[in-house]
Order: sequence, then structure tokens, then C-alpha cells
Amino acid sequence: MRKTPSVFLLGVFLSCLVPSLAQQQQHFYNIDKEIHIKGSIKDIIMEPRYKNSSPFLVVVLEDKENQKIYNIEVSPIWFFENDFHKGEDLHVTGSPYTTAENEQNVIAREVRFRGETLVLRDKHGFPTWRGQGKGKGRKRGKNF
Amino acid sequence: MKKSNFFLFFYLPLLGILVIFFFLSSINRSTIRNKVEELVQEQLQATAEILKVNMSHLLDESYPASEILSPYRDERNIYFMALMDENRNILDWRSQFEGYLPISQKQAGQKDSWIIDSPVGKIYNVFSSFTTPDGKTYFLYLGYSLSNLQEMIGQSRRTFFIVFSVLILSAVAFFFGLYRVQTGYLEKQREAEKEKKEKERFREISGFTSGVAHEIKNPLNSLSLLFELMQKKAPEELRQSISLGKQEIQKIASIIDRFSATIKPLRLNKQSFLLAELIGDVHRSISQEAEQKNVIISFDASNPLSITADKDLLGQALLNILKNSLEASQKGEISIRTAAHRKTKSISIEDCGQGIESKDQKYIFDPFFTKKEHGMGIGLYLTKKIIKAHGGSISLKSERGRGTTFTIQLPGGMK
Repeated sequence: MRKTPSVFLLGVFLSCLVPSLAQQQQHFYNIDKEIHIKGSIKDIIMEPRYKNSSPFLVVVLEDKENQKIYNIEVSPIWFFENDFHKGEDLHVTGSPYTTAENEQNVIAREVRFRGETLVLRDKHGFPTWRGQGKGKGRKRGKNF
Repeated sequence: MKKSNFFLFFYLPLLGILVIFFFLSSINRSTIRNKVEELVQEQLQATAEILKVNMSHLLDESYPASEILSPYRDERNIYFMALMDENRNILDWRSQFEGYLPISQKQAGQKDSWIIDSPVGKIYNVFSSFTTPDGKTYFLYLGYSLSNLQEMIGQSRRTFFIVFSVLILSAVAFFFGLYRVQTGYLEKQREAEKEKKEKERFREISGFTSGVAHEIKNPLNSLSLLFELMQKKAPEELRQSISLGKQEIQKIASIIDRFSATIKPLRLNKQSFLLAELIGDVHRSISQEAEQKNVIISFDASNPLSITADKDLLGQALLNILKNSLEASQKGEISIRTAAHRKTKSISIEDCGQGIESKDQKYIFDPFFTKKEHGMGIGLYLTKKIIKAHGGSISLKSERGRGTTFTIQLPGGMK
């Protein structure tokens, strides 16, 4: 995925929608409900997810085995450096929640693709892009 | 001091002190930290109680959950909070970090407060229930930043390491100083012991040799008189042989006298005099010999440096060194220099002779050590004895083929 000015303009436009997307009640990383899913990328979208935060990268994942579609919330766009392509296989570890529209969402903690693992949150769900501790600064989507 | 002793007496106590300090300090810091953590937790519990009372009234007045939590959105130290109904369904929640609400029903089910680690520091979690005036039960989940406490603990750790480092440096310096004092003291003690033993041995040898010398000299005197008598009454052709015999007896007597003089303890008769004057006297007594060997003895006769010493003995010491220098020199110059220092006065005698082999240098002041065919090896021994009796020291620097410099240091600096 490439970050072009149009992506940012889209981000700015989408961020205007944030107030209408009020924080949903279960929209947090619930460590008690962690699941592992795998599927192939069906679509890639960018949309605001949290108040006062930049737009997020959301991957629509199709689990062919169970015939389910998940919206995988990856990370803010600026943090994600890798490219996703439609049709690529993805293994996700994350916390699921269902929206009012009955959509299956997963907040990703780890994403594994092309043999690499991206750690997006720690074991408590703390977002990696929000700092690595005092003085260490923020690191961009790091491969482990 | 042996290495093992050094370890035992210096490093071991040092290590012991450091370990004790480290141990006590760790216990102390740990106690203080626990107490502070306890206090902070109590404070946070109290904060949670106040929040619960406020929320209870607002809920009773039918305020929506989102409005109840909104005043705390900008609270810097509250990382996240959640309001739940009696079935623990989240009514609303706030977090400073996207999607981060590390609420664990498993953890919350066990206790009402616990601490978790996060990349922004420790977070103190409080999970507790409250009841509204109308009897409904709610749960409040609060995640409070402990960064201030951690900063304080970090500061305390830094201070500890600074104090510990200073203590280590001071202790090392102290023990090193102590070690130096101790080794210096032991060295002096060893020297004193050695000197004492040497004196004892010397006294024994001295008593023995004086007795032997006395016993030999008596018959030698009789023999000398007998030879004199024989020389007077013997026929002319024997008189020369008898005279040679008498000379040999006198030579033996002279050797015994020198031995006796060497062995006898020195009694100093100190007086103040000009060093140049003494050097002049010594020079005169050896000048003929120097002229024969084409050696020039130079010194500054106008030097006003004076010294308090036994003039005769010091003269004898200088003469012995000069004789050695002269014997080692074929031609060239022997220079005598004097100087006054802060605590001492020095006399150095430098020749351009053949020099002394380095392996022989440490034995040069030992009695009966000589490399000369007709030497007895007591000249330099006696010189050192005289200098030591004055509380001074003598040293030499020599290079084979380039000459030797003897330096005498005597007490009494610039006056």
C-alpha cells in the first residue's frame, strides 16, 4: 500500500466523520476474548476508528473455511509501512467484537503474512504506535 | 605483603562493606518503595471512591453514561476508565490510547486492584462496584498512571547508584591509602629488624675479630722486635732478607689495623665546615697520584656550601671514592660537584673510567667485594658505613666504558 496525497486527503475527509462514529461500547481490545483467524484479503479500506486519532487501516478478511467476513482493524495508516494486496493470505491474532450492524470486527494484535509477523499491540492490547516506553520514541510497523 | 594477605586485609573488608551497604540500602529502598506504593494505592482507592460517589448521584439523576465519563477525558493521569452495569456490560468507556482497555474479567474477578506494565509505564487498575441511591449496582474500572511514582523510584535508584559509586571510589581510595601506609610501615619494620640483626651479627663478628686481632698482634709485635734484634746481630748477607721479613710482618700488622678500624663502631665528632675546604684537603692528598695518571680532579673551590659532619670520617669516605675513581680512570677528568636541596646536601663524584658492570653494582658496597688484584674490598664498604652513620645515603650510576658517578646525600638542606 502506498501513501499518496489522495490517501491523506481521504483520511482528512474521513476524520470529519469521527463524531458520528462514537466509540462503540465493546470497541476495545478485550484480552479475555483473544482469537486467531486466517483468511485472504478481500478489500483494504481506511476509516476513522477512534476520536482524536488519524484514520485506520482496515482489512476485510474472508475466512473461506467458516464462510465469514471480518473487518480487521490494523493500525493508523501512518504507522503501517508494509503493503497488503488483495487475495493475500493473512493470519491474525486479535480481539473480536460485533458492531450494531452485526459486522464481525477484530482489533489486531499480531498480523502474520509472507512469513513475517507484525506486532501491533502488546499482550494487554496497548498500541505499539503509542510509544515504546519513555525516551524510546515511536517505531513504525516493525517486523519481528 | 602477599597477594592473598592483601586480598584478606584490604579487598575483603572493602567488599564486605560494599555488600552490606548494598544489602541494607536495597532493603531500605524496597521498604520505602513498598510504603510509597501502598500510599499511592490508598490515594487512588480514595479517588475512585470519590468518583463513585459522584457517578452514583449522576446515575441516579439519569444522566447518560457518556456524559458522566466525559469530564474525565482530559485527565492526564487517568489512562482509561469504564462504567459497567450490574451484569458487567460496558455502558461507556474512555481511553487515552486507541482501543486500549486492558480490562480482564479474569483478573478483576480475583481482586479489586492490580498493576499492569505498559510501554508508558506501570498502570494501577482499580475495579470496584458501587450502588446508586435507587439500589442499582454499577462497576467502575479505572486505570491510573503510576508514572510519577516510577519517576520518583527511578530518581531514588539514580541517587543510590551515585552514592554507591562515590562510596566505592572513596573506599578504594581509603583502602589504597591504608594499604600504602601499612606497606610503608611493614617495610620500615622489616628494615629496622634487618638492621638490628645486622648490628647484632656485626657486634659478634666485631668482638670475635677484635679478639683475634689482639691475639695475632701480640705475637706479631714480639716477632717484629725479634726481627729487629736479628737484623742488628745477623751477618751482613742476611740483613736484607731479615729486613724483608720485618716489612712483611709490618704489612700483616697494617692489614689487621685496617680490619680493626673497619669493624669498630663509628663515633662521630661533628662540626660545621665548608665542603669545598674538605674536598680541597682530599684533593691535595691524592693529587700526586692523579698527576701520575694524567687525571684532572676538578671542583669549585669557591663554593660556600657548608655542612655539619665528622670532617675526618667524611674526608676518608670521599678519599675512598676518589681512589676508586682514580684507579678506574686512565686519563681524563674526575669532577666533584656539590649541591644543596630542600632537605639534603649532595656530593657527586663523576669519572670517565671503565665503569662498573651492572651485575656487580649491587655488591659494590659489600665488605670484601673487589675486582682489583690487590684490593681488599673494604674501601667502599667503609664509605657507606660512614655515610650511613651520618644519616645519609650513597648511590651510584655506572655504564660500562662511559664512567661512574657516585652520589652522596647527607642530611641538612638549604640553610
